[in-house]
Amino acid sequence: MTDALRYAGVTYSYPDAPSPALVEVDATIEHGAFALAIGPTGAGKSTLLRAANGLVPHFSGGAFAGHVVADGRDTREHAPRDLADVVAFVPQDAAASFVVDRVEDELAYGMENLGVDPRHMRRRVEEVLDLLDIAHLRDRSVRRISGGERQRVAIAAALAAGPRILVLDEPTSQLDPQGAEHVMAALQRLVHDHGITVLLAEHRLERVAGWVDVALGVDAGRVATGTPAEVIRTLAAGPPVARLGRLVGWEPVPLTVRDARARARAHGGAPGGDGDGHSRDSGDVLLAARGISARYGDTEVLHAVDLEIHQGEVLAVMGRNGAGKTTLLRVLAGVHDPARGAVATATGTPPRAGFDVALCPQEPERVLYGDTVEGEVRATLRARGATDAASPWLAALGIVPLASRHPRDVSAGQRLLVATAAVAATGAPVVLLDEPTRGLDPDTKDRLVRFLRAHAADGGAAVIATHDVELAAAAATRVVMLAGGEVIADGDPATVLGDSHVFAPQMTRVFGPGWLTPEQVAEAWA
Amino acid sequence: MNVAITPHAGPVTAPAADATRRTTWHPGAWILWSSFAGLCAFVTTDPVYLLLLWAVAWFVYTTHRVSEPTAASFRLFLIAGVVTLVLRTTLVVFGTIDLSSTAYAALEGLRLATILVVFGTFNAVTDPFGIVRLAPRRFHEPALAAALALSISPRMVSAVQRVREAQRLRGIRVAPLRSVPALAVPVLETGMEEALTLAESMDARGHGRGMRTRYRPQPWTAATILVVGSAATAFAMFLWASAAGWAELHPPTAPLGWPEAHPALLAAIALLAVPGFLRPGTASGHAERR
Amino acid sequence: MSAVAHHAPLDARGPLRTVVLVAMNLVGFAAFLWPFALPALTGDRRADGPLVLIVLVGSLGALLFMELGRGGLGAKAVALLGVLGAAVVALRLPGFVAGFSALFIPVLVGGNAFGPSFGFLLGAVGMFASGLFVGGLGPWLPFQMVAVGWVGAGAGLLPRGPNTSWRVRIGALAAYGFVAGYAYGGVMNLWSWPFVASGSAIGWERTGSTGENLRRYAAYYAATSFVWDTFRAFGNAALVVVLGRPLLGALDRAARKMHLELDAAPAAPAASAEPLPAGD
Repeated sequence: MTDALRYAGVTYSYPDAPSPALVEVDATIEHGAFALAIGPTGAGKSTLLRAANGLVPHFSGGAFAGHVVADGRDTREHAPRDLADVVAFVPQDAAASFVVDRVEDELAYGMENLGVDPRHMRRRVEEVLDLLDIAHLRDRSVRRISGGERQRVAIAAALAAGPRILVLDEPTSQLDPQGAEHVMAALQRLVHDHGITVLLAEHRLERVAGWVDVALGVDAGRVATGTPAEVIRTLAAGPPVARLGRLVGWEPVPLTVRDARARARAHGGAPGGDGDGHSRDSGDVLLAARGISARYGDTEVLHAVDLEIHQGEVLAVMGRNGAGKTTLLRVLAGVHDPARGAVATATGTPPRAGFDVALCPQEPERVLYGDTVEGEVRATLRARGATDAASPWLAALGIVPLASRHPRDVSAGQRLLVATAAVAATGAPVVLLDEPTRGLDPDTKDRLVRFLRAHAADGGAAVIATHDVELAAAAATRVVMLAGGEVIADGDPATVLGDSHVFAPQMTRVFGPGWLTPEQVAEAWA
Repeated sequence: MNVAITPHAGPVTAPAADATRRTTWHPGAWILWSSFAGLCAFVTTDPVYLLLLWAVAWFVYTTHRVSEPTAASFRLFLIAGVVTLVLRTTLVVFGTIDLSSTAYAALEGLRLATILVVFGTFNAVTDPFGIVRLAPRRFHEPALAAALALSISPRMVSAVQRVREAQRLRGIRVAPLRSVPALAVPVLETGMEEALTLAESMDARGHGRGMRTRYRPQPWTAATILVVGSAATAFAMFLWASAAGWAELHPPTAPLGWPEAHPALLAAIALLAVPGFLRPGTASGHAERR
Repeated sequence: MSAVAHHAPLDARGPLRTVVLVAMNLVGFAAFLWPFALPALTGDRRADGPLVLIVLVGSLGALLFMELGRGGLGAKAVALLGVLGAAVVALRLPGFVAGFSALFIPVLVGGNAFGPSFGFLLGAVGMFASGLFVGGLGPWLPFQMVAVGWVGAGAGLLPRGPNTSWRVRIGALAAYGFVAGYAYGGVMNLWSWPFVASGSAIGWERTGSTGENLRRYAAYYAATSFVWDTFRAFGNAALVVVLGRPLLGALDRAARKMHLELDAAPAAPAASAEPLPAGD
């Protein structure tokens, strides 16, 4: 049987690009394999995926050499629409990829294009609804379902026409843990029970690393295939347990918590002493929220919330989707009026948006409108009448090299940094970030954490609303848990995260409460 | 076609009845009904007929309105109708002002208002996506673009609100004439990026491939044929009366006289009320699957 | 089959098609201007009404049929029409309230960025979709679709492209937007004028001369939409001046990113067969 996907000597450059996006790529993915593309942002993962169904080069133009053969069809001779029954492609932003309003109609769209007989279409729609466990959504509008449901609908819509190869570009990057869980479980089922071949690009490897058959490490356009452990080790990527393995020299690096526990036992158990939750003494109160109850539409989203934000703090607000995190941030920023209670700054006045408090939104694109990255920062400075230079703000986020680039030409993670710089340039002492996890590759995460710590050390405070446990573990000096609109935990990270099952970082799961980051563990063992 | 994927739960049987789905009529029926009703209003200025048409339009609206934002448009059309009536009547100031010319102007205004009300019903009873789905194959792409415009616009409206708030939170206040680019550019740029994702997704799913088929095409049922037939008959009667002159369609205004109410034309208007007596989704209106 | 159809340029035309297109547009134009040109009809004025309306709507319908039914747009153009059309829909809503609606702006910049064919489609599709959404469907719809389509097409014929200076491009577009504001209002008012105002002193007089009807129409126009249109004309010009450059910049970038070929003749397949030159 032929392979599902075969890349042979593929070299490709986008039009007007200074350097190639893919260089001499040779890779083979067998039928029924679960393949994972890993690599830093901008390395070429997206290009690799799009070459699988011919979007590269037919949609994107440019210069293409080599061959990509998908289920026996060469993409040079077939446009993407001719491969629609062979390769299913699911982009990162599922919501933007929908064509019609109802879920059921969306599933049928691909088959309509292919001229499938209507009776056959009915059957396929039913099958694919069951396959992705979305039968209860058939009548719903695609706009009114959750992120995880949307992603599964997008997968179903691509699979309805019958392709056996599924290609997904970072499907969980915009999802909360529940949504990500559902999508990953669905993918696992597709591969293990139904023999679908899956090629996936992901950053968040915690969940998926254990299931993967073959990994493609992508770095500056070059691809190396191997087992996940091998590739993760060479690329310095991977979940915290893998990072720990690299730091401590474990060979091969562990990919799951279970692997890591086994290794830790062999290594001699947990390191001595309790971890330091890196909490700090609280400074002065910068912002105080008392008795906040807030509504969103008809539902009460926050109930009797008391929160004080102190100088020098990096506060992580955590909780499930719908727990009220975003609303809390908006109340703190002064843009959402609470039904009861009030927020006050150190001087007792309500916070002024953009002055006392600044917020970087969940979608950083919402604030970017300049021609250059530097221009974004200058726009903020101009708006508040400041004459400072823009470069210190860029330096704080580690993006000085990007100063003259167009803000929308940089990677998703870099956009977040640009938006954060633009927001920080307001000079507000309290900086809020709403779910800064989209497209967050390890490099971006590092820069962000460094900025947050520096900002707090300089006398400010930062608040991040997030469900990314590892980010909280790495950055926070204090963690607040919200559930059902109420604060259910508030304290130092070691205690709060250590107490939770769902929100425990990998290091805690391996070594117990108090251990938050691989660097911490490695240092204690040294 | 590749081998079908069998789900892990037993063999698939199609659901028995189309209960949850497509219980509305073929939109073509409504287009024709409202066109004929509008044309009936067009050929007369007799207030008896016109006001009866208002009643018919309201009746059909209450029995068939779709619970969508467009259903609210009926009230808007009603208001527009009244406003038109008033405006047309006031045009009389440009000529001689007396009872007869004012009555004339008022009747002209009533005619226009009636057409508006009829179309108010039309807008309230049709599903916008249904109309787009109706497009013949030749117009598939523009129709799809229209459907996309409909689906994407709510997202765009909320994007504007969110961008405005986000800019405020970095100290940039967007006022009607100040910093409008700070509002418009992110919305458009994000829209363009979404257009890219959409185009990729459409290509990847076979857009433009050739012969298309239609999933669950909406058939013409007995009910819809009856609706169109009765509306066409109504208009034919009005047209006949207008051409042959066996009824007075325009009450005299100089001097002022009583309007007529010819029984045949009253019956014709009653025919236009037929949709109100038929329910979508009933046995007679039930949409068959093929 | 091929990558050629994939990048179907929006403005490719054969000579015959161009002739037919121009002819249809002239017919469409006549449909709007008929009150000035049509000689007096015999018989009872009012009975002709529906027939005239049907003929008018029909001729515009034929024009729309031709422009919209050409096919081969491709996913990129459809996606762009969808997004920019959504902007038209979103902007039309407040227009009902304020009188002035910024809906021309997406049509102007879209037409200027992507060409006359796209501009026409955007105007037509945008008015159709917004009619569906705000509940504004009626016999006036074909007129609106064609009129706004022409606004978009005209914008595509103005200076555009990478070699034009911004000042020229924005200046021309702003001036055009100003004129289009009045022209649209004037023309939209015109087709309905005989139906709406007939019998009044400023209504259409079928037995009158062209000159007399022009005078009557001028009075009718002044009494009805002139103020509205003034707001629209100034509004368009102002918004183009303020937003034109950033918006057009965004659209040009999008065209580049999408690798959209609009004015070129059908090109060879995008996949080049030569391997990359060494050292590149």
